[in-house]
Amino acid sequence: MNIRCAKPQDLMNMQHCNLLCLPENYQMKYYFYHGLTWPQLSYVAEDDKGNIVGYVLAKMEEPEPGEESKHGHITSLAVKRPFRRLGLAQKLMNQASAAMVECFDAQYVSLHVRKSNRAALNLYTNSLGFKILEIEPKYYADGEDAYSMRRDLSELARKINKSDNFVANENSYAIKHHNHTHHKSDGHCC
Amino acid sequence: MPSSDPLPPKENAIFRKILKCYEMKQYKNGLKLAKQILTNPKHTEHGETLAMKGLTLNCLGRKDEAYDHVRRGLRNDLRSHVCWHVYGLLQRSDKRYDEAIKCYRNALKWEKDNIQILRDLSLLQIQMGDLEGYRETRHQLFKLRPSQHASWIGFAMSYHLLNDFDTAYEIMETFRTSQTVESYDYKHSEFLLYQNQVIQESGNLEKALIHLEEHQGQILDKVVVQEIVGSLSLKIKKYDKAIGTYMDLIKRNPDNAEYFKCYLEAKQTKSSDETVQFYKEMSKEFPKSLCVQRLPLDVAQGTTFDGLISDYLKKNLRKGVPPLFVNIRSLYKDSYKVSTIEKMALEFCENLKASGHFTKDDFESGLAQEPASALLWTYYFLAQHFDYQKNTQKALDYVDAAIEHTPTLIELFVVKGKIFKHAGDPIEAYKWLDEAQSLDTADRYINSKCAKYMLRANMLKEAEEMCAKFTRDGVSAMENLNEMQCMWFQTECALAYKRLNQLGDSLKKCHEIERHFSEIVEDQFDFHTYCIRKMTLRSYVDLLRLENRLRDHPFYFKAAKCAIEVYIKLFDEPLKASSATEEIDLENLSPAELKKLKNKQRKAKKKAEVENAQQAKAEKKKEQYNKSKQQQNQDSGDPEAPQLDELIPEKLERTEDPLSKAIEFLKPLQMLSSGLIETHLMTFEIYYRKNKVLIMLKALKKAYSIDPNSAALHMCVFKFIKLLETNLAEADEILKQVLLQEIKEELPILEKKPVELNEDYIKRNPNNPDALIVAAEILHETSPENNKTKAIDLMKTSTKLDGFYLEHALLIHDLLKSNKLGNCEKELEEFLSSFREKYPYVLSFKQTNLQ
Repeated sequence: MNIRCAKPQDLMNMQHCNLLCLPENYQMKYYFYHGLTWPQLSYVAEDDKGNIVGYVLAKMEEPEPGEESKHGHITSLAVKRPFRRLGLAQKLMNQASAAMVECFDAQYVSLHVRKSNRAALNLYTNSLGFKILEIEPKYYADGEDAYSMRRDLSELARKINKSDNFVANENSYAIKHHNHTHHKSDGHCC
Repeated sequence: MPSSDPLPPKENAIFRKILKCYEMKQYKNGLKLAKQILTNPKHTEHGETLAMKGLTLNCLGRKDEAYDHVRRGLRNDLRSHVCWHVYGLLQRSDKRYDEAIKCYRNALKWEKDNIQILRDLSLLQIQMGDLEGYRETRHQLFKLRPSQHASWIGFAMSYHLLNDFDTAYEIMETFRTSQTVESYDYKHSEFLLYQNQVIQESGNLEKALIHLEEHQGQILDKVVVQEIVGSLSLKIKKYDKAIGTYMDLIKRNPDNAEYFKCYLEAKQTKSSDETVQFYKEMSKEFPKSLCVQRLPLDVAQGTTFDGLISDYLKKNLRKGVPPLFVNIRSLYKDSYKVSTIEKMALEFCENLKASGHFTKDDFESGLAQEPASALLWTYYFLAQHFDYQKNTQKALDYVDAAIEHTPTLIELFVVKGKIFKHAGDPIEAYKWLDEAQSLDTADRYINSKCAKYMLRANMLKEAEEMCAKFTRDGVSAMENLNEMQCMWFQTECALAYKRLNQLGDSLKKCHEIERHFSEIVEDQFDFHTYCIRKMTLRSYVDLLRLENRLRDHPFYFKAAKCAIEVYIKLFDEPLKASSATEEIDLENLSPAELKKLKNKQRKAKKKAEVENAQQAKAEKKKEQYNKSKQQQNQDSGDPEAPQLDELIPEKLERTEDPLSKAIEFLKPLQMLSSGLIETHLMTFEIYYRKNKVLIMLKALKKAYSIDPNSAALHMCVFKFIKLLETNLAEADEILKQVLLQEIKEELPILEKKPVELNEDYIKRNPNNPDALIVAAEILHETSPENNKTKAIDLMKTSTKLDGFYLEHALLIHDLLKSNKLGNCEKELEEFLSSFREKYPYVLSFKQTNLQ
């Protein structure tokens, strides 16, 4: 398993992974838009053969009214089912968040998640320190509500600034392992 | 230069308003204004006004009128840059880029410093890969607008793309020194990284390293800085620096395998023991890193491996990590490792059943029992292990044991389906996947896999319905998946239709995939200006290089291969001109047959009615769609995109020239996938049918250089030699000489007689079942009366080889059923009785039995 920053030549395979795993899909142009505007923010996980088995597609957003600086946003995150429970989603998210802070001075990272997606919600709240900001009614095309979530990145920023030997994977949130045999531990969102 | 036909001041003012309206997308007003000029008897034929009216009409979707007006305008004023520019824009909107470039060039003849035309020209040139032209145009733009950043960047980039690294660097260096930089400047950071990339590509690695060190304070992307420092240090053998840099990178991301490999390379670690030791130390520092646990398994040998794999398996089985098998599958190249893993997993299984421990040692030393789920995951692992080893029965035994242990685990049903798929029963396979998806209907991955298995079982309708659970309401799943460029689905559909002999439908899917690739190339257009503005130049150059090779993606290869095979089939067996009912001798039918036929006709009629209704509905929808799109275009001002021809299966399968359609799909493969033998074999098959011997010879030569023992190639060579035997006598004398000379110099094997060629091939490949089966077919062909027995014997020999698998049994089955060796019913029955015993699940073997 290998986790690295996504290159333009990965984007088509990310789209493939997305179409297999998630109901929210995008045309290639949208992937290129991400990869060519914020080349540092998207990461992929690949298996021994170089197949993409998971990815995070991320971007920056302009400051909300009343805010001073930009923040990151997770457009899409997926891990193929046969590769779940390795903690890939968490590793991908951590790398992307660090890049948001370092390259774009992001204060926080936001995302949307389906209200019904308990596994993803669990990952974001318990493993990654996201908090529910509000409910966005009928956010999804099929009418489902979304939780709008945020993770404050100021602690991560302090760590990055403090030390050159910054360790991205060391985060203060405990990783919770699930013992249910058929529980998926990745997160889906759009 | 002013127009050769200037308007008087009043009309000229109106003309300016037309231009304004075009820019503001007020097309209706534009037309009204144009009318004011053109209704004046003195100006009815005013060129530039006619041209602008045409361009405006184009934006309203009135394509034919648009061309009429623009062409008439141009004829009336051939020296007007406006008319030429407008004609170029019109061509561009129809994606005739070469024509558009010519128009822009003509426009520039009359107005050489027009910024807008130069910009439009530069976009087309970079899109078309005309790098020399691009450099010229960027030079012009640079001279005209030296104060703009984009002028400098585009100018420098145009040299970079032509590999003139020094000039590109110098331009950027002049630009850089003129800049004042704020403390947090992402664009400048990207600019510096791009400049560094240019130095690296020039080959001056020391200079690149110095440049980076000098500017790294201003570069925000610290990961990339370290990656570049690491890789440059490694290349110029500054190992100490590389070691430190890669260790920093590992700390940042201890799940990047590349960092570890580079670190070890910098350490000049030679022995596998040292490597294993290193990972052991790292595992203390990065206990959660997957790489640290997995990578040493690649290098460890013998007892060191035994110890490591034992710990690795135990840890993962204890924790219940489903991807355990897929994670270590790549170790199966090594037979020692496979047998060690098998032995160990079987031992774990026995002991877990007996005492709840992995080993006897664990039990005797009084360790705590493993969790009950450890046995489940061991069964699951063993099922996958034996499936991979092609041992269907054991795989099924273990997956069944696992299901009995825990009947609700979805992964088990997926594996069970996969085992049946590998064992040759696509129907049973899809049933298990269907079971799996029914247990978690909210998970699209499992839904997708189920649909894929349905398609493998040729169940197109069911697959679409399955996918529809996750596609948007209101449109058909097929349409939505096409819109979303869902190529895996379309590829599987194409292959299923091909198996069902619905060739037109199969071609439709292949063409849809082809269109996705064209669209993705088109999508670049907007990024040419965008990336220079955003300064993300490294990614932009990556994109340009990627788009040139886009069709080397496996999705394209699969679609192209399918399309080529279908077109070849259509050439060999063309369909009748229309689908009119065949003339059937009704009198000679039995009542039962007659009834059957009538039923069939009734069903066909009903189907046609439904299809017609659907067609009408689709037409109506399309109309509405076009209307709304037109509306959109009016709003957004995009020139009307050209309407692609609708892909109609009945038309596609009745194309007049299937081989040239096949060549269209082949061309990108020849350019981008020349490393694959199939590319050259397909080239051969197409040009064999066009009787182009020199191209065939070239294809054979390339195929030989890839794999001289390929069975498929052997068949092509045989066909080529036979073709020469029959056709050479009549061939043109010069061609004949060239050909014989080429053969002598390049591929002397073609000088052999067919019989000799085949004997030689068998001698070279005595242990290769693919080779023997193809050789058997040729053996029969070279002497049909005598050699059927010999051919059958050769196939029998192949079945006793070590490498003989189900796929080979299927080859023999298909060959004997095809009647290529004459009637082989008896022989087939003989083969089948042993195949059925050896491969009890194969559906096609069972079905042959029923007939």
